[in-house]
Amino acid sequence: MAERPEDLNLPNAVITRIIKEALPDGVNISKEARSAISRAASVFVLYATSCANNFAMKGKRKTLNAGDVLSAMEEMEFQRFVAPLKESLEVYRREQKGKKEARKDKDKKADSEEQDKSREEENDDDDERMEEEEPNEEEEVDN
Amino acid sequence: MAAAAAGAVPAAAVAAAGAEPAAAAAAAAGPGEEAGAGPLCPGPLRLARLPLARVKALVKADPDVSLASQEAVYILARAAELFVETIAKDAYVYAQQGKRKTLQRKDLDNAIEAIDEFAFLEGTLD
Repeated sequence: MAERPEDLNLPNAVITRIIKEALPDGVNISKEARSAISRAASVFVLYATSCANNFAMKGKRKTLNAGDVLSAMEEMEFQRFVAPLKESLEVYRREQKGKKEARKDKDKKADSEEQDKSREEENDDDDERMEEEEPNEEEEVDN
Repeated sequence: MAAAAAGAVPAAAVAAAGAEPAAAAAAAAGPGEEAGAGPLCPGPLRLARLPLARVKALVKADPDVSLASQEAVYILARAAELFVETIAKDAYVYAQQGKRKTLQRKDLDNAIEAIDEFAFLEGTLD
């Protein structure tokens, strides 16, 4: 049961894979070390969120945006993350744009009649809400 | 495999991700791990393998946060991945010093104590 925020775990399998890929071949990780790293990652997200939120509030915004997170990274002395994160953001934005175009095209083909009311809403300000585009996760949770 | 590997240097990441990202992404991504990437996206792909829903749950756990953009959640997920890589590598240095090929909890503790950027973790992992 997640009683504290730090207990919200990230999936073990993914954490393990990231660790293994970061380390040389043949290196193992003890269960305790893996679990501690996973927990550390959760704490990192919480800390980064709090930091990013300060920047949002400074900017009188109620919505955390990517820029706030980048500012938080610098504040937390993880400047070396900023460049790769910016790159990831670029790719992510391109992908999102591509998906929107694809959806628009699909709509045009599928039904010319009932168009876009719902679609157009999605096109506006997709930077605003925390909306999940991916389907429900059923990732393995082995606690 | 290629798409999943991430170095601290963007160039390396781009090079690694450039090789067959679609196939690699399909192989590397387990259920629900893709951060909304299309199946056939060419070019440098930096998918977040950590599921955004879990990251979002952590963000929402902060009572001071009202809303976070989708991009913010995505970047947090990516940052968490970079963090995991970084701390694993830093801890591994201590395992090497101890002539071990298995990363242990104490290696992590040593890294946290020694490295300033990890100071925020002190006292949180028990």
